Amino acid sequence: MNSQPEKYWSPYLAGFVLGLVLLATFVIMGRGLGASGAMMRSVVYAVDQVTPAHIDNNPYFAKYGGGDKNPLDNWLVYEVLGVIVGGLLSGLLAKRLKFKTDKGPRISVKGRLALALTGGAIMGFGARLALGCTSGQALTGGATLALGSWAFMMVMFASGYAIAYFVRKQWI
Amino acid sequence: MSAPFYKFDLFGYETGLVIAFLIGVAFGFTLERAGFSSSRKLALQFYLRDMTVLKVMFTAIIVAMTGLLYLNLADVLDMSKIYLNPTVLYPQMLGGAIMGVGFVIGGYCPGTSLVASAIGKIDGFFYVGGALLGMLIYGEVFPFFQDLTTSGAMGNATLSDWLNLRPGVVAFLVILMALGLFYVAEMLEKRFGEKA
Amino acid sequence: MREVTITSGRDMHLIDPALTIWGWEIPVYLFLGGLVAGILFFSALYYLRGKADEMPTVVRVTPLLAPVLLGLGLFALFLDLEYKLHVFRFYTNIRLESPMSWGSWTLAVIFPLSVVWALIHIEQVFSGWRWPYRWMAQAVEMARQYARPIAWVLIIYAVILGMYTGILLSAFNARPVWNSAILGPLFLVSGLSTGVALNLLISKSEAEKHLLSRIDIMAIAVELFLIIHLFMGFLASTQIHIEAAGLFLGGPYTAGFWIFVVALGLVIPALLEFLELKGRVLATRIPALLVLAGGLILRFIIVDAGQMSHWTF
Repeated sequence: MNSQPEKYWSPYLAGFVLGLVLLATFVIMGRGLGASGAMMRSVVYAVDQVTPAHIDNNPYFAKYGGGDKNPLDNWLVYEVLGVIVGGLLSGLLAKRLKFKTDKGPRISVKGRLALALTGGAIMGFGARLALGCTSGQALTGGATLALGSWAFMMVMFASGYAIAYFVRKQWI
Repeated sequence: MSAPFYKFDLFGYETGLVIAFLIGVAFGFTLERAGFSSSRKLALQFYLRDMTVLKVMFTAIIVAMTGLLYLNLADVLDMSKIYLNPTVLYPQMLGGAIMGVGFVIGGYCPGTSLVASAIGKIDGFFYVGGALLGMLIYGEVFPFFQDLTTSGAMGNATLSDWLNLRPGVVAFLVILMALGLFYVAEMLEKRFGEKA
Repeated sequence: MREVTITSGRDMHLIDPALTIWGWEIPVYLFLGGLVAGILFFSALYYLRGKADEMPTVVRVTPLLAPVLLGLGLFALFLDLEYKLHVFRFYTNIRLESPMSWGSWTLAVIFPLSVVWALIHIEQVFSGWRWPYRWMAQAVEMARQYARPIAWVLIIYAVILGMYTGILLSAFNARPVWNSAILGPLFLVSGLSTGVALNLLISKSEAEKHLLSRIDIMAIAVELFLIIHLFMGFLASTQIHIEAAGLFLGGPYTAGFWIFVVALGLVIPALLEFLELKGRVLATRIPALLVLAGGLILRFIIVDAGQMSHWTF
């Protein structure tokens, strides 16, 4: 059996298919895709298990899981569950299923993992402030021509390019 | 006119969840196929070496955007029933700036980190853990800057409102811009790319 | 003294319209019962076909877990009993019309047999195994001489055990979701499939895993067929049954059932196993875990939904 990972799709093909998936979501559900909302709901769910009173007292948490509300009973949560399954299927089919850490050649694995954690935390914070992440804002809002989403997209990429130089050792 | 189906009550909430799962599978599958399960591939975007992110995102936006416009024109789809991300300018721009930093440092965005974790990327696990932590922190400190989160609220504003142009014209401009970006991206990859 | 007057008989607290007195214990017991039925069925089957050396996991290794798993299941069942000290009463009579009586007698046969079956194989699994006393070794040796008849009895009783986990529910005429003759075969096939999945998790032999994957795909295909028929049967039946099916077709169990049981517990593992046989992917453990989780969730959902479904409005 050939165990070489397969090539990725051409970016334009992947973009086209992604566009169709997004369009189908609009046509069927009347809404777009998302990711960070479901993660937020998992956080609220976890906190709700430990201290439900804390959820009820915090205006932000309460919106998701106050009182009897189950934060996981939500469209996005099921969509994200599908995302994980879909990613797994694709990775399996392309023989990319493997425990490994992606990084540039000039950084240690530990360093990369520390930065992944840090970057994730920054991103998680920012995504809640921006009312959505790359999927929910840039992709969905971009396609519906939402003004704020385009502003978000521009600022995000600008900020990424501005900071890229300082962490170049991680990637190149 | 019967789309969006859900808003016209063609099926209920629970069935919608099943559809959500199926759509998610397609979404995750495509993200992985595009190569978004690799943080390095995503991050090289910011070093002009691999412009996949830009190409995939803008192709997807163009396809979905023109699809929406045509279906609306053909009276199949009621555009007013499609959820439009509300514009709350300042938090969105500030959040965007923060996320840009997080993107370059962490190497993923939330959606792609899940796909990466699904195929066993260890940095993906750490990123997801970090993102959950960041969201927890956000919720905890939210009461202190609650006012900021609603500043610059403009409701359902769109690019066409802002530019005072018809949506079709804006879409045309977006397509032109995207084509220009694709051209530049191909040039950049030729110049800086790692393939050669 | 507080007097309770029941006037209609149709509005009893905790009984009508929703009887939710079965918590986690019953579904866990039904799952473990089905799983053990699957383990013992295939172990005995391949033993009789003389495949013990080719398929050591199925025939010898996994059956060692059967008494433990069945014991845990019975403990869960015991926890659910209201009058725990009255267990013995099951064994003071035989009532052919009662599935609970069938079940308790089936368990009375298969539980000791599963212990004997495990003891017969333990020496071959652990090469350094020594019985502490001579009489033990002699007893096991004697049992081994009857291994073939024991295997036959095990096959029969494994099928009865697997069927009974479903019939236990379908005997409740008052619960439309359970009131289907398909439930018995469905739980049997699901039990066989989870048994195969557990073997897949444990097995280290490629040839064995290959065969197990093939069996599992077939079991899953039958299961999907039965599920479709379950719903066709409901929808072609009375209004009560149509509404019972509605719990899964747009009602509160729709997402849970179709996503966690059908998609994640059946279709995706079957697809992965199929691709694996084609040499496309390498991850036997993922479909096996999905099948096991799906089997457990199936029982939780069926037990829960059954208690939701009712005759009155």
